[in-house]
Amino acid sequence: MNLRFGRILATTVAIVVGLFILASTFVAEWPGEIFGLSGLINQVSLLFISWVTIVAAFALFLGFANVISVHWNRIQTRKPGALYSIVLLIALAATLAVGFLSGGPNSNPSQFIFDFILQPLESTFFALLAIFIATAAFRAFRVRNLETLIFVLFTVIVLLGQVPIGIYLWAELPVIKDWILNVPALAGVRGILLGVALGTIATGLRVLVGTDRPYTDQK
Amino acid sequence: MASSVLLAFLFLLLFLGLLLFFSARVNRGQKPSLRRIQAFEAIKGFTGRAIEAGRALHLSLGTGSMADITTADSLAGLYTLDYLADQSATTGIPPIVSMADPTVMLMAQNTVRSAYGSDKVKAAEAYRDIRWIAPQPAAYAAGVMNLLSLDEVETNIMIGKFGDEYLLMGETAARRGTSHVGGASDPNTLPFIYATAQETLLGEEIYAGGAYLQKRPVHIASLLAQDTMRWIIGIVILGGVAATSLGIING
Repeated sequence: MNLRFGRILATTVAIVVGLFILASTFVAEWPGEIFGLSGLINQVSLLFISWVTIVAAFALFLGFANVISVHWNRIQTRKPGALYSIVLLIALAATLAVGFLSGGPNSNPSQFIFDFILQPLESTFFALLAIFIATAAFRAFRVRNLETLIFVLFTVIVLLGQVPIGIYLWAELPVIKDWILNVPALAGVRGILLGVALGTIATGLRVLVGTDRPYTDQK
Repeated sequence: MASSVLLAFLFLLLFLGLLLFFSARVNRGQKPSLRRIQAFEAIKGFTGRAIEAGRALHLSLGTGSMADITTADSLAGLYTLDYLADQSATTGIPPIVSMADPTVMLMAQNTVRSAYGSDKVKAAEAYRDIRWIAPQPAAYAAGVMNLLSLDEVETNIMIGKFGDEYLLMGETAARRGTSHVGGASDPNTLPFIYATAQETLLGEEIYAGGAYLQKRPVHIASLLAQDTMRWIIGIVILGGVAATSLGIING
């Protein structure tokens, strides 16, 4: 009984909040008042959006607990990589302690961690992309069927059209490259984006009318 | 301005009408035959493969959230999790699920809990394999790469919102010889998926999980509504091109 009531409540909340947020996007673009309700719709939807921030912050807290739980379990069961888990938990505790003791995330010690440890590590890690692109391209360039043959052909033309040597090989290469990027590639991207937009709207509508309830335990 | 708002509103109403119309039809038993998508066929066999190999199945839900424009992408991954969780409730082998946003983690936990029903002990065990890695894309990718290496993953599914970091994870899976299905909606990520995954879900295909994996009537109806809207948009575009070319309307 309680479970059923919970489902009904969750569905009602989702539909009402969803309708308010949807209405606010139309109200924001509509010139003038809509039955004198524009102000109310805007205020209520802003309130709902501010609640999202609170929920997200609480979710972050639960995520924090999840990280500790997963890595503590790894250490206890001495799974492979337990040493990394120890390092992670120490780093986590140290960053938290620095944040608390130095006066929050905007303090100098906290900023030091972000500016001189975290950001350089992230940049270094993303620099690996160059190597990964090369190895992925090596695999992708193996011609297995007609599809991969077209893939390789177009990639080689775009690659040669992009670099200065291309124009020396054949003066038309940059022109063909531009045509590939502006006509078939752009058409393909627009087709994909159109499909994605329709898929997104359909997902939203299903949730909005309550026929799809991923937030409850009902299938 | 007013006309474009009105047009968008009418578009939504039409879409909603089609969704409800096709839902009623599908519920009456008029189900269409869906074209075969190889990636979903592969996903259906992944749990079995992982059990046979005695290794793990990993599902990445990406870097999307449940509270911004990436919600639909995150939901697409969660529908796949729904299917895998149902299978794991039968087999007792839960998938390892990773994500970059804690709101998605809560949804993933709810999905797993609902699959296990009243069996709270097994649900608690499955919870341990739902892992929030880190909010930054680079840190998330590093965590998943580590997970793919250390947890001896046999089959890997990545469906959700991904950026450039996809390549780091996808390439790691490819190098390790892991069976790998990848899917994303961002056209900039699709070449990375194409280059690394064995089976791909390109663009809107990621939203079709509920229809293909679980045969949910409302999801099947949703695909029919999307197809109808696509035809309408296509006809309007062609009509607009013809009318502009013939000078009937001014471009």
